[in-house]
Amino acid sequence: MTKAFSIFGSSSRPQLGPFEQQVLQKLWTRGNATVRELLADGKIHQAYTTVMTTMDRLYKKGLLDRVVEGRAFRYTPRHTPEELQRVTALESIRQLLGSGDASSLPLSYLVEALSSHDAQLLDELQLLVERKRRELHSRQKENAARERR
Amino acid sequence: MFALRGIAVSLTFFVLTYCLLSALVAGTWRLLRLLHVGERCVATLLFALRVLPLATSVIVTFVFVVPSFQLLEPRSIDEGMGAMPLALGICALLLIACGCYRVMVAQTITSRVVARWLEGARSLNAGADSPPETVTFCSRRETPPLTLIGVRKPKVLVSESTVALLSHDELQIALKHELAHMRSRDNLKKLVLRFCPFPGMAKLESAWSHAAELSADDAAVSNVGDAVDLAAALVKLSRLVSVEAAPICTTGFVTGSIGARVARLLAWNEAAVLKARRTRMRAWYAVPPLVAALLCIVATYGPTLRLTHEMTEWLVR
Repeated sequence: MTKAFSIFGSSSRPQLGPFEQQVLQKLWTRGNATVRELLADGKIHQAYTTVMTTMDRLYKKGLLDRVVEGRAFRYTPRHTPEELQRVTALESIRQLLGSGDASSLPLSYLVEALSSHDAQLLDELQLLVERKRRELHSRQKENAARERR
Repeated sequence: MFALRGIAVSLTFFVLTYCLLSALVAGTWRLLRLLHVGERCVATLLFALRVLPLATSVIVTFVFVVPSFQLLEPRSIDEGMGAMPLALGICALLLIACGCYRVMVAQTITSRVVARWLEGARSLNAGADSPPETVTFCSRRETPPLTLIGVRKPKVLVSESTVALLSHDELQIALKHELAHMRSRDNLKKLVLRFCPFPGMAKLESAWSHAAELSADDAAVSNVGDAVDLAAALVKLSRLVSVEAAPICTTGFVTGSIGARVARLLAWNEAAVLKARRTRMRAWYAVPPLVAALLCIVATYGPTLRLTHEMTEWLVR
């Protein structure tokens, strides 16, 4: 999988071209396929050689496995989307932490990003709690008024 | 030589049973998700499953292996000892030593950290109905807002900032949550888990920890108002969490997925929780299977000892 890391750069999303991503997506949906089978689905409108070159490039990047089938190759994704996402995120964090001269600096960026993300999440949760509390109070008031009547 | 062989064979049986059962548990514990029971029941079952390999291997060793060797092994024969029982015996000793070391380290670190947290602590005066076991301590940067400490005599520690930040109702419900952990002896359970290490158990332990949190939430809450107060306390205290990692033998209030816990509390359903409480597992449920197992052991003890002895003979050679 290490070969795949080189394509990720510093972004948390893989640095794959749009067509490479489309091919990978199709293979995840189908499980495995030859170039001809992908084209036969009718959702990819490219030349046979373009698809073949793209799949070969994904194989060389370590994202696909392939076995010979007749005169062609059958390609299978090497990782599930979740695995790829996890490894990509981990590698991005590793690259970020190893990028600066002062090792604590990138870590502080990460902590800052996480803190702001957490604070945002907590603000949202706080709003939900306050809304629920208002609902509860108004329901209690209604019940009290009904009992008085 | 006889005693040495006996010890090596017993330890070999212990380590083999422990590893086989641990591998089995690590591979099958997820099946518990199929059960539709309350979180308290889930937490109990997960913990029982986690300690099952250790408990079973200790019972098998002391009930079958040691007596079979003592009773059926002729003392007069000067039999040699194979490499396998020796190697596995050493593995068992290493496993036990590793468990003891992990427990000692966890206890030492916890004691050191808790002693620091308790500097300047004073009794909590959070209202007439505040539990007598609670202690408040001067808030410092690295102190957790609300946590359960100790194994033998657990106490709930509350920071002054927590007391200042939470309303009276929120504080009471948060304390009830921690007291539920205290009643479940969760700190002791964490220490027990430290004693039985095995690779691949981290997810099971994490699932137990999550279930224990939800179980404490359920135990603390008795109506929708309580649920909202507990959710509010969780959100408020999440902003106070210290950067320092909490030691093993403590149970913090703000742990696990806060978003999921708050969402669960806000969707609190009285009827569903009452139903779950009615279907909870009680201690006496374990009595019939235990009695049945005991009767089985008594009825088949002789043949089982002979079978165990045959296996020990095979191991020694």
